[in-house]
Amino acid sequence: MKKKSKKKTSDDKQKILIDLLKKHGAEIYDDLNNGKFPKFSIPSRSVSNIVYDKKLRQYILGANTAIRNSRNSSQLRSFTQLMWLAFFANRLTNEKKSSTLRDVYYSSQAFAVDFEDQGESDNIIVDLEAVLSRPREDFHVFPEERSSVFGDLTIEYTVPGYEGKKMNLSDHPDGYAIGPSLTSCELIETSAEVIIAVEKGGLFTRFVEEQVDKKFKAIIVDTGGQAPRSTRTLLKRLHDELSLPVVILTDGDVYGEHIAMVIKSGSANAAHLRELTVPDAKWVGVWATDIEKYKLPTIPMTESDIKRCHDLQKDPRYQEGIWKKELEVFLKIKRKAELEAFSKYGLTNITDKYLPQKLELAKSL
Amino acid sequence: MSSKESFTQISPSEFFYRNRDLAGFSNPTRSLYTAVREFVENSLDACDQIGILPDVRMSIKAVDAEKPEPKQYILTVKDNGPGIESKHVPLAFGTVLYGSKFGLKQARGMFGLGATMAILYGQITTNRPVIVKSSTDGKIQDEYEMLLDIQKNKPVILKHQTKSTSKTGLSVSICLEGDYAKAGSKIRDYVYQTSLITPYATITFDDPKGEKFRYTKVVRTMPKAPTIIRPHPHGIDVETIRRMLLDTHFQIPTVDDKMILKVRKELGLSKKNLNYLGIMQKAQKKWKNLSRQVRVVIAMMSFLKMDFEKISKITIEEIDVGNKKLTYWDFGESQSIALDMDPESRYYKQLANTVQGETLTSFMTKRFQRVGPTTALKFAEFAKFKPEQRIGNMTNQELVKLSDALQAFDDFLAPDPSCLAPLGASPLEKGMAQFFEPDFLTVVQRGASAYSGFPFIIEMGIAYGGKISSHGTKVYRFANRIPLLYDEGSDVVLKVVNDTDWSRYKIKGDPPLVIVSHICSTRVPYKTVGKENVADRPEIERELKLALLSLSRKLSSFMSKRGQAEADIKRKNLYSKYIPLIAQFATELAGKKKEPDYKKLIVEEPIVEEKV
Repeated sequence: MKKKSKKKTSDDKQKILIDLLKKHGAEIYDDLNNGKFPKFSIPSRSVSNIVYDKKLRQYILGANTAIRNSRNSSQLRSFTQLMWLAFFANRLTNEKKSSTLRDVYYSSQAFAVDFEDQGESDNIIVDLEAVLSRPREDFHVFPEERSSVFGDLTIEYTVPGYEGKKMNLSDHPDGYAIGPSLTSCELIETSAEVIIAVEKGGLFTRFVEEQVDKKFKAIIVDTGGQAPRSTRTLLKRLHDELSLPVVILTDGDVYGEHIAMVIKSGSANAAHLRELTVPDAKWVGVWATDIEKYKLPTIPMTESDIKRCHDLQKDPRYQEGIWKKELEVFLKIKRKAELEAFSKYGLTNITDKYLPQKLELAKSL
Repeated sequence: MSSKESFTQISPSEFFYRNRDLAGFSNPTRSLYTAVREFVENSLDACDQIGILPDVRMSIKAVDAEKPEPKQYILTVKDNGPGIESKHVPLAFGTVLYGSKFGLKQARGMFGLGATMAILYGQITTNRPVIVKSSTDGKIQDEYEMLLDIQKNKPVILKHQTKSTSKTGLSVSICLEGDYAKAGSKIRDYVYQTSLITPYATITFDDPKGEKFRYTKVVRTMPKAPTIIRPHPHGIDVETIRRMLLDTHFQIPTVDDKMILKVRKELGLSKKNLNYLGIMQKAQKKWKNLSRQVRVVIAMMSFLKMDFEKISKITIEEIDVGNKKLTYWDFGESQSIALDMDPESRYYKQLANTVQGETLTSFMTKRFQRVGPTTALKFAEFAKFKPEQRIGNMTNQELVKLSDALQAFDDFLAPDPSCLAPLGASPLEKGMAQFFEPDFLTVVQRGASAYSGFPFIIEMGIAYGGKISSHGTKVYRFANRIPLLYDEGSDVVLKVVNDTDWSRYKIKGDPPLVIVSHICSTRVPYKTVGKENVADRPEIERELKLALLSLSRKLSSFMSKRGQAEADIKRKNLYSKYIPLIAQFATELAGKKKEPDYKKLIVEEPIVEEKV
């Protein structure tokens, strides 16, 4: 049984955030008191300022920053919006209330701060992420999409009303939704030795049925397609706090390959954030080379698949290793295969044959 | 004549009766509108001519309001002008082609034709007479009821009476078929726009539905009356030259019994026979009062040395001025006889001038505007004519050559604009201010310019904001103080306005913008016979563009100032809205109780007062 050494990471994180918000608030308060127009410095998120950091193995923002100044009448409105969001995030965090992007949009209307549409408020949320260098989940704004987790992992809730309550994530065969409470919980202990992230809910259910968690000592995570940020945060915490390796299984196509890459090294959209990546995560399949090897039934690639391949070839992260090789094979065979394709050889073929081989392979990757 | 077809002459009124579409009387809607225009414009012209501030009262009443359209209406237009002398009334309103506007100057209508056309149309559609009331002295008013004899082009007076009155002026009332339901909006537009371009006039209109429209004069000064001037050489064609020649060059009259009777009458010798010498003496005494024809006959008689009886028995064959020979045919002796003419005799000069017309130089200086002897000589050289060449001797080819040269010669002075009567910048501005009550108004009067020898002046005004509604740019077009209401699309003014990139002048969307454009010219180049749209002559287009440009620039600077002021107010509002919110949020974030003192941030912004 692995036990976590450090306790109460979740509370620490909250405190740091609240201190950060207070610091910004105090600066602005003082500026106003001194008759100065307050301003925020926001790292620029323009394409020219997004660079790939080889050391961190993810996209990060460059040194350019934009000043949002309340003296400038054309920036005054968005300054106020950002200020309000900081204020609102502070309340959410202090009261341990969760909300969604859409909640934020509607909440603004109670404070005479107007957003034209949700797009505008979403933008301001990303601004605040950039100012604080913290993902929005840290200030209690959660995504709508839910992914799931299953396996022997004991957690302790920190959300109001459940504080101190413990739970084991193998108690419910449908798995547990990764929502605000799981994102903010304390990770207590686990017997698992690996995390298996799968792209699809159907396969997740199959894995639970076939007791993959027991057979392979694994915690199974359903990413539900492109992994939401709360799922990526959980994966990172499982890896960092419990020192568990992460393997990823996706469909055998260019989108599957990129789902794995985003878990591993993030996306350009989130270049302002540093805590969403699992650089050691390993993509184990389905590879383009597996299609041939396992004689999988295939479907032809569409034009947009092919275009996506060419786009990814320009990405610095696809310049070496399996990432580069598999893209080339996809482009060569111009065919793709889904995870379900293994069902051709029996429903349990994937857990009986493919998965053990891949887990073994992962150790050497 | 060998042709079997028969040709019959028709009277002018019959011609117009058959071609009334041309004059704007094509249907009840258009006819009612045209009739209104003709009478109102005649009234305004009459007042303009003698410098009276016009007071024109117009009314349209249905004969039977219950009837469906089109129906009979009584149109009455009354003015405070000079009136028309009683003896001229029947001819002025009872025949076609009787008018006093033949000179070359700017006027609203031409020849006073339209009014008679309206009367003619009324008579055709309702068979009711026209009623004309006129007073020239402000004491006695003559009242006529007349019909028009279309075939004979003659008035038929049904009733004539005189009454006492206290004012001069003319009132014309006709009954005609019209469709006010359809024509109404155009007529109201016409009255409105006419008042706009005639701010020195009071115009009232009582419409058939009992509505009263009253536009009182805004200014008390009238534009300077135009002077009648001679034509400019560039504005002349071969046909016009021919007509001018007829005026200068006189045909040798046929000496028949009728002519002899005329000569005797002018010499006062109708009943009395005198011998040759007696006749000559009498002619010497009465020379100044003799008509041109009679003078020519006397001149011939001086060489023939004949009395009335003898001259009636011959016929003149040829007058050869070059060889100083006069040849005649004697019926009695059945032979041709040639006489020498004494070149020193004053009668010889009379004949020579008559036969050959004026010299080219004197033709040029006397018959055209702004041509002096120097220019005339230069022109003769340019046209390759001898300066002393007699106009009367020119062949057809030579006339064409002359006409072409007149067009091609560039050294003529620009046409004289004294025949134009623009409204003037100040009255236009006052009129527009009264009508539109805008936030911004500016007008411009361009200097005189010319196209094809016809002078013209562009006046233009631009008004923005205030009580003008935001339905986009509205263009009011005028030519010689007449509103142009139909056929907007193809007009040169519209073209120039539409070609303008308004965003350059800080005008966006559907602006509350009014443009008034007035073209004054002795001949406005209309595109169609309907006279509702002006053709795009390059010279006119250029002047319109320059006028619009100078106005737009002024508008632009106004818009900048106004934009600045609006932005400042907006800024101020923004700060007073958002700074307190920022303070509120910052207070809670910083964990403070008391809000920061942010007031100075809102006041600090300099606020620029709105200047208009």
